[in-house]
Amino acid sequence: MSCMTAASQSEGLIQQFETSARRSAATTQRISRSPSAIAEAVFGLVPQRARLAISDPVDLAPDLFTESWKHPGVIRERTRSALSTADAGLTEGFAAVARSGSICVRADRGFIGYVSLLPRLHIAVVDSSCIVERPRDLFGGRLAVHGLEHNFVFITGPSATADMGPLVRGVHGPHRLHVLLLI
Amino acid sequence: MNDIGAAPESPRAVADKRSKPALLRAIRMALRVESAAVRHNTQAFNRGRYREVAELTDYDALKDRARQIKEEAITRLPELLATLQSSVLAAGGHFYLASSAQEATQYIAETCRRSGSRLVVKGKSMTSEEVGINRRLAAEHMEVAETDLAEFILQVADEQPSHIVAPAMHYSRERITELFRRVFATDEPLDTGEELTRFARERLRQKFLAADVGITGANLIAADSATLMLVESEGNIRMSSLLPPLHIAIAGIEKVVPSRGDFAPFLELLGSSFNGQRMTSYTSIISPPLSDPVLQEKGQAPQRQFHLVLVDNGRTAMREDPVLREALYCIRCSACLNSCANFQAVGGHAFGGETYAGGIGAAWEAGTRSLAAARFSELCTGCTRCINQCPVRIDVPWLNTVLRQRLNKMNASPVARLRKPQPTPGTNDDWPAPIVKLFWGRYGMIARWGARLPSLSNRLAKSALVRRIMHSAVGLDRRRELPSFPRETLVPAARREMAPTIEHAIGKVALLADVFTNYTSPQRGLAAINVLRAMGVDVATSEVIADGRSELSQGLIAAATRQARAAAECVGVFLDEDRDLIIVEPSVLAMFRLDYRHLLAPEQYERLRQRSFDPAEYIWRLLQQDAGRAAQLFDAGRSQVGVRIFYHAHCQQRTIGAAAANEALLRATGFDVISSQVECCGMAGSFGYKRDFYELSMAVGEDLFAQVRAAESDGERILVASGTSCQEQLHAGLKRNVLHPMQVLDSVLRNEK
Repeated sequence: MSCMTAASQSEGLIQQFETSARRSAATTQRISRSPSAIAEAVFGLVPQRARLAISDPVDLAPDLFTESWKHPGVIRERTRSALSTADAGLTEGFAAVARSGSICVRADRGFIGYVSLLPRLHIAVVDSSCIVERPRDLFGGRLAVHGLEHNFVFITGPSATADMGPLVRGVHGPHRLHVLLLI
Repeated sequence: MNDIGAAPESPRAVADKRSKPALLRAIRMALRVESAAVRHNTQAFNRGRYREVAELTDYDALKDRARQIKEEAITRLPELLATLQSSVLAAGGHFYLASSAQEATQYIAETCRRSGSRLVVKGKSMTSEEVGINRRLAAEHMEVAETDLAEFILQVADEQPSHIVAPAMHYSRERITELFRRVFATDEPLDTGEELTRFARERLRQKFLAADVGITGANLIAADSATLMLVESEGNIRMSSLLPPLHIAIAGIEKVVPSRGDFAPFLELLGSSFNGQRMTSYTSIISPPLSDPVLQEKGQAPQRQFHLVLVDNGRTAMREDPVLREALYCIRCSACLNSCANFQAVGGHAFGGETYAGGIGAAWEAGTRSLAAARFSELCTGCTRCINQCPVRIDVPWLNTVLRQRLNKMNASPVARLRKPQPTPGTNDDWPAPIVKLFWGRYGMIARWGARLPSLSNRLAKSALVRRIMHSAVGLDRRRELPSFPRETLVPAARREMAPTIEHAIGKVALLADVFTNYTSPQRGLAAINVLRAMGVDVATSEVIADGRSELSQGLIAAATRQARAAAECVGVFLDEDRDLIIVEPSVLAMFRLDYRHLLAPEQYERLRQRSFDPAEYIWRLLQQDAGRAAQLFDAGRSQVGVRIFYHAHCQQRTIGAAAANEALLRATGFDVISSQVECCGMAGSFGYKRDFYELSMAVGEDLFAQVRAAESDGERILVASGTSCQEQLHAGLKRNVLHPMQVLDSVLRNEK
């Protein structure tokens, strides 16, 4: 599940990612690599009555979200009405970019495109060992298999517009992006 | 007339600017209605870009790489298109190469009709604007919902884009509120950005969920994997490419690059060159069709379909045109629009055509529509501020100069065609050109005659009758005060006194007597000579040298080339004597350092470029940027004109990197300097003198005047500017005397004697 095979990720790169992510109005939180830690964070972010959509990991460990599926508002159906009315979406991100504060999320596989786009709140789980320095690092080195072969999106903060005058966060896509960084 | 029935301020009524009156109407409309919002937005984008690229440590390397990728891709275009076609087909998609706008809309309409589509959601795509897809689909009784909020506003208002990235940036929040209230007749709150966004979002969410077709553009396309790069902030493009069963992507053929890895430099350059965003909210890297099923309420999901429609529509011809080919490298980041002083004042409804706006927009309109549609390129003053901002290093002013030459030929009257001159070898000839262009392009000649009898010329220049005639005959605006001719021009004045014999000279230079300094501002030339000699520099003065600047600004490229060749020959003597060239007028210095690359042989240009200097730049180099030595030589405390300065550098002087030394030198010598932060004063050579552009020129100048007023909130400052036309503009706006930096330093020296 980790991107690095040798030494763990440098603290400097993690901090750079956190700073840049906040600059783009995302929020970040460090947690340990366990299904229960993720669930605890998710339950804290998504009220009991809210509707939570989950897309299970394909790049991180497949059981990471098992505890989160116990949320009382979890949505199991994959219909248009169910997913388009979800309040929160939980997905993995297979990489993150320190310089821009972006996370990289697949665009398809397990309805991840819908789960990461339709709800107001998007919670993305990223392994801190998968942070690279710059966007171009997605197309070479250890992440090249993702960057060159998968459909994915660089997500940098919540959706935003300045078309209506002042900067507004929360347009067609999520109004809030919360990144859970696995340490 | 093309505006019958339309309100006078309707942008649609002035979209077609093939006639001069239409262009002038558009400028008036934009200044009256749109200028405030345009200024606010473009200047914010511009500041953001400067801030961010300063932090991109490998900015130049990224630009080089981006340029190289685009150059190679355009060279290999036919082969890349063939590769792309097979990779789209291999992925299960459909590929269509449309040779014209009509073919593109026909194919898309048919594809939609065949799948029984009724509702189309659209992401922002300039190419779809270019081909006019909305009109075509509406004719087929399909509903098209523009989902980018800016495009949504334009659809509601029925207007064309005013900017290639932020197409509704000419709308203030207040005007959007007013528009929505009028059109939607709703009680919903619409008084903040949030409320307006919510209003549009709720309407559009329903459209996304019900849509049959999603149409998007593409910022880049990788040929080997049929991958689209889609850059956006709102999420509407992700929705449009994910929710409907049918996804159609439409893009110009120039968007194709070999592979996904080639996206890399553009990922960082695109957002930062627009408004300084490192990455916008969403950059999708997808090879459609996507693998996840289309969301349904119940039952079997329909199979996803993907169509890639690539549009030629003139691009192959642009590729074969050595100049317009450059435009194909454009990645539509808008840096050249936002860094343009004229664009900042009026936006793309005046400085733009039916689809594309700004300096680069003229080449696009010429390439995809007609040369006549590029007439708005007249608003490019050649100030060059955009050159260093382009992430793929397109020389936008040069494209507009060449377009001007071609437009001259098109617009020349039968009278102007009467006398065909001998062609100049090695150049595209200027003939024919409108006769007024010959007036504006012959400043050197006019000034030479004017300077012969200065008192008569000056009296004529003030005569109301003469000015009225000039106003109507050649379009020289009578509200402009003309620079007056001195009793003695620079060359005789400089040569009247014998050059002092300087033993152990610390440098040898020739001061180039450019036409502006020689005929109208000899004091600044004499000041430069005095300052240089006081430092121990051996200074010779050249004959008057016409450099070709005014010819070039009118698109008279052959005439400018002749001048450039003659100038190179004249100064060659000095270079052979091992003298560097000091050029006081920044627009002339910029010819030697920048424009001559288009007019002279490479080795000749290179020699001139390396050996030409702004006076302050030369001095600062000579002092090895040592502030202590500068302060010893020129102690600001002895200044006869005060120590508080407002300095305005010339636009071209900043582009060639010769402005910073002026500020540094003045500061080092103890002056308290506040510098202007505008891209251009608005005069821009002859531009501001023209009757047709006087209001625009003064509107641009207003930003500069406002900065002077702000800098003087705690007391008056000496106004200092390097460029002749900047000095005239400051004088026109503030009715004050304006000095050249060399005159300031000279005043220190004179006080010592």
